[in-house]
Amino acid sequence: MYFESFEALLHMNGHGVYVWSSLAVTLAAMLWLVIAPLFKQRALLQEVNRDIQRQQDRERAAKTASLSDSHEESN
Amino acid sequence: MSWLSDKFSNTLFGESSKESPSWQWFYRLGSPRWFYQRSGQWLPWLSLAALLVLATGLVWGLAFAPEDAKQGNSFRIIYIHVPAAFLAQSGYFIMAIAGAIGLIWKMKISYMVMKAAAPIGAVLTFIALFTGAVWGKPTWGAYWVWDARITSMLILLFLYAGVMALQYAYHSVDAASKASAILALVGTVNIPIINKSVDWWYTLHQPATIKLTSAPSMHMDMFMPLLVMIVGFYLFYAVALILHTRNEILRRERKTSWVRELVTAKAGG
Repeated sequence: MYFESFEALLHMNGHGVYVWSSLAVTLAAMLWLVIAPLFKQRALLQEVNRDIQRQQDRERAAKTASLSDSHEESN
Repeated sequence: MSWLSDKFSNTLFGESSKESPSWQWFYRLGSPRWFYQRSGQWLPWLSLAALLVLATGLVWGLAFAPEDAKQGNSFRIIYIHVPAAFLAQSGYFIMAIAGAIGLIWKMKISYMVMKAAAPIGAVLTFIALFTGAVWGKPTWGAYWVWDARITSMLILLFLYAGVMALQYAYHSVDAASKASAILALVGTVNIPIINKSVDWWYTLHQPATIKLTSAPSMHMDMFMPLLVMIVGFYLFYAVALILHTRNEILRRERKTSWVRELVTAKAGG
């Protein structure tokens, strides 16, 4: 290592605050760039899943409705 | 008559022009479904590579590289500032080229790539500006100066913001894509200005550290970690671009049968 101790690495002869704050903001921004789309992807897939469920419910309701209709007619 | 036109088109384009191996990849790449499935296989490896390379470059640059004779340790900001600025500009080219491909060949996927590239580029430009400002304080004594390099980078940020805003300015996806692509293409004129600003004008910003045409203006011990960081940022950019593009694919293709099959397969398994 270039620095003599861990404290020296953190302090960087007074420049530590500039270097480490730059790094912190950069890492936060980069993490956001990859984590936000993962959450977004999950939401999108859930939305598609809800659409499928809704369509299935509608089809099932239509089927039972037509069944009960034919039942009433036969009476 | 139809046999004649068939024969004519066969001689002109070849019987199986679309199946010819040299063009197959181009048509496949144009298919959002193919891209979604393939990129899902690439992502873990790309992410792992990006993580390893970035970690190596950071530790090397921040803890092992020697300090600058004039600037002291504040120069270590270069290891994030330069790669971010580099990718902010490369990313702009990627966005503009994707827009051009969309305009010329009407390729759906390339408009999606263009849209995905805009927020990533904007964040990278912000990182370059922010780290530059923090670096400027101990080096120049000011966070911000209106010199040519910094101002042209700020314009780059506005161009990215403009492309993002245009996506939401139209009801029709097609119109939004075309308008964004045109803005992206016109904005490319800013990239050579950013590059040459330190040579054309008297700027407080230091001249380029890395040039393709000459040896780097820094010692190898300092230069190697910078190179590693640039490679790492490229890998990171690829990961981010793929992730954002995949979401755009899902958003636009959510009514298609392949997306529905994907979701039901996931829910079942």
